Amino acid sequence: MVVDELGLVRVGEHITVFIPATQTALVFRVRSRANAGGEVLNYGPLPIRPGTTLPTYDGGSVTVPAEGVLPARSYTPVGVSFPMPGAYDPGDMWYTTEEDRDRLFHVKMYVHPPVVRVDLQVPVGVTQGRFQRNRVTVGVDKDFGFSRGYAETVHLPAVRYGYRFGNDTNLNLRTFARFVYGEYVVEIPRNPELVFDILVRRVPSYWVTLPVNFADPAIESALTRVYGTKGFPVLRYDQRDEAVDEYRKVIASLRL
Amino acid sequence: MVKWLVTVHGSATTTAPGQGGTLTLESPDVLGAFTYIRVPKGLRVKVWARRLSGTVPFRLLVRYTSNVTVAEPTWSVVDSAYLASPGSVELEKRRPVVVVSGNGTEAVSFAFSDSGGAGVVSFSAEIEVTDEDE
Repeated sequence: MVVDELGLVRVGEHITVFIPATQTALVFRVRSRANAGGEVLNYGPLPIRPGTTLPTYDGGSVTVPAEGVLPARSYTPVGVSFPMPGAYDPGDMWYTTEEDRDRLFHVKMYVHPPVVRVDLQVPVGVTQGRFQRNRVTVGVDKDFGFSRGYAETVHLPAVRYGYRFGNDTNLNLRTFARFVYGEYVVEIPRNPELVFDILVRRVPSYWVTLPVNFADPAIESALTRVYGTKGFPVLRYDQRDEAVDEYRKVIASLRL
Repeated sequence: MVKWLVTVHGSATTTAPGQGGTLTLESPDVLGAFTYIRVPKGLRVKVWARRLSGTVPFRLLVRYTSNVTVAEPTWSVVDSAYLASPGSVELEKRRPVVVVSGNGTEAVSFAFSDSGGAGVVSFSAEIEVTDEDE
């Protein structure tokens, strides 16, 4: 098994971060888990501040009445981040810079009540939910394109993520967020054959698909700055020679 | 998979026999009072355990409407229970009362009727909001 009972990648196993917009992937080997034994973070109420004005599904707006309360029929139009004093950015606990390129946060967020709609903006402000290419944008503010009560992602360094939430009940919900996360110390495999075998799923790896259907320049710029590459192109099973040549070039440019 | 199990409770004061009305509810998961639960589109509400207590007999009504967004929703009674004498009764269903949402305007509410006189009627229930069929 690549993952443990928490759904986090075991030490020594691989994790593959796939970016649909560019059909590329980043492949990491987990060297160690910095928070082994302390993977659960009971964060508290969602970071929704009292007094904030939120739009509603019925066309109006509503003011947040108390910390962490998601008002009836409202949603957060722009992704919020989770503050933590002492973090590199105290306003966003999951944000790190290229200095931390050997660290990778694998985050599973559980929201209570689990009827709360959840989606991610990567980077924050860019809604990534799409239907029929780019014809329709979907997400918590629409009828579909979201999950309820749960989100899983990998936080890449130097990219700001935004979490959006929606409440389509008529109740002012008191919310709570619980994270199960791994702070992985990672390396990128230097063997192009191994990378190919992982990307054609011949070698086991835990795959996380980033909700990136629109290739925002900020993501590509961050990836290049952090890792020296936008990722390994995901090619067909019968393109082994071409892929290995390409992966060799990518590996030569790596900063990790 | 969505599975939200929540306790709701409410009470009312009666002043004469035969009174009734919609119960105003509260819940630890909810800020403020409410009189109905709108079922999110695609989900369903299951009413599991119900507890009736009061100083007078009364009937509890579980009600459903297909459209709570209109000015005066039409409520249909889908289940009822009766507290025959002052005290309490706990009713746990092996099969819950289920209300499914097809378009997101459906709702469930709780009311009481046939109060036995002046007194207090109270009610609480475990409600599940879920996407599971079973």
